[in-house]
Amino acid sequence: MKTREAIEALARHRGDAIAVCALGMAANEWWAATRSEDSFYMHGAMGFAASFALGLALSLPDAPVWLVNADGSLCMNLGCLLTEASQAPRNLKHFVVANGVYQTVGALPMVNEGRTDYAGIARAAGISRARTIATLAELEELLPGIVAEDGPSFTLLHVEPERGFLRTPPMTYEGPEMKYRFGRALERKLGIEVFGPQGY
Amino acid sequence: MDAAAQIHAQLTRCGIKLAASLPDDWIAPLIERIAADNRIRHVRVAREAEAVAICSGAFFGGVRSVALMGATGLLTCTGELATLNLRHQIPVFLIVSQRGSIDDHRIYQEVQGRRTIPLLETYDFPYHVVDRGEEIGSIPDAFETCRMQKRPFVLFLTRRLVKGEGA
Repeated sequence: MKTREAIEALARHRGDAIAVCALGMAANEWWAATRSEDSFYMHGAMGFAASFALGLALSLPDAPVWLVNADGSLCMNLGCLLTEASQAPRNLKHFVVANGVYQTVGALPMVNEGRTDYAGIARAAGISRARTIATLAELEELLPGIVAEDGPSFTLLHVEPERGFLRTPPMTYEGPEMKYRFGRALERKLGIEVFGPQGY
Repeated sequence: MDAAAQIHAQLTRCGIKLAASLPDDWIAPLIERIAADNRIRHVRVAREAEAVAICSGAFFGGVRSVALMGATGLLTCTGELATLNLRHQIPVFLIVSQRGSIDDHRIYQEVQGRRTIPLLETYDFPYHVVDRGEEIGSIPDAFETCRMQKRPFVLFLTRRLVKGEGA
């Protein structure tokens, strides 16, 4: 399964979910597939999209929140799985696009080169709904059930590393503009107040 | 009312509904008070930067939050505070024990005492030191300043405040 195919499949099944994307490949591909402003695209804090998504999910218990993580980012903060398990947010789904390499810096191999069972780690942390999906056909078959089940869930999408990968361009806005576009999108979508009456 | 109870009361005045924490021994009584308050969602984390990012996510859910940690933990999350909170101008309110002060006779806190505030100044993170009980009432102003400045704001608690005079 190619990264782009996996991300496009997620995007087709997304429904109303708010998305939080790890920096790099996950964020860039999600932007390419969705052009969505009710998604937060990390530019830094590698590893902590997971924690950001958890904070969002706990704050909006009635809104589905999808984390589009990547294996490099997950390895930066494996402890996030313990925190997710302990908080057990029913509205949080954790997807990991896993290619075993640091794609955006030239596909250099990751630590432990392909031997890690991330879904096994998630289960051992206490996230019982955890699985690995290796083909697009299997992903298409299982996604409706994943969307329908309660969180927290953990779904690892095993994708091919793409040598000579032409980097997908990132989203066309950044920094404070991303903050305000994302926050305003959530205000419109959910009827909540993110920014106060004076705009901060 | 002890310092932990007073700080907890001020956080309630601020409208805090979520707290993410990793304890050190000075701040542990405050964390346990918050954990016992069922009006506040308490999240125990494995690493302090998780607390920073959880509070940042909560901001976008319209929920007021606080991250609680020791000074050493604050040092471990400066990268995330810079690349998430400074980069996107996301406020995050941190309550941190001011370890390494002249009355903190722990050799392993000495560097934190000398270098933490210069580091915050380098990053241009505002901070405020609460040293006495009568200053605890400044917490709502500190929280509002954090929101207005749209960046990490560190509220330090001193040893004298949390352990008591002469402890």
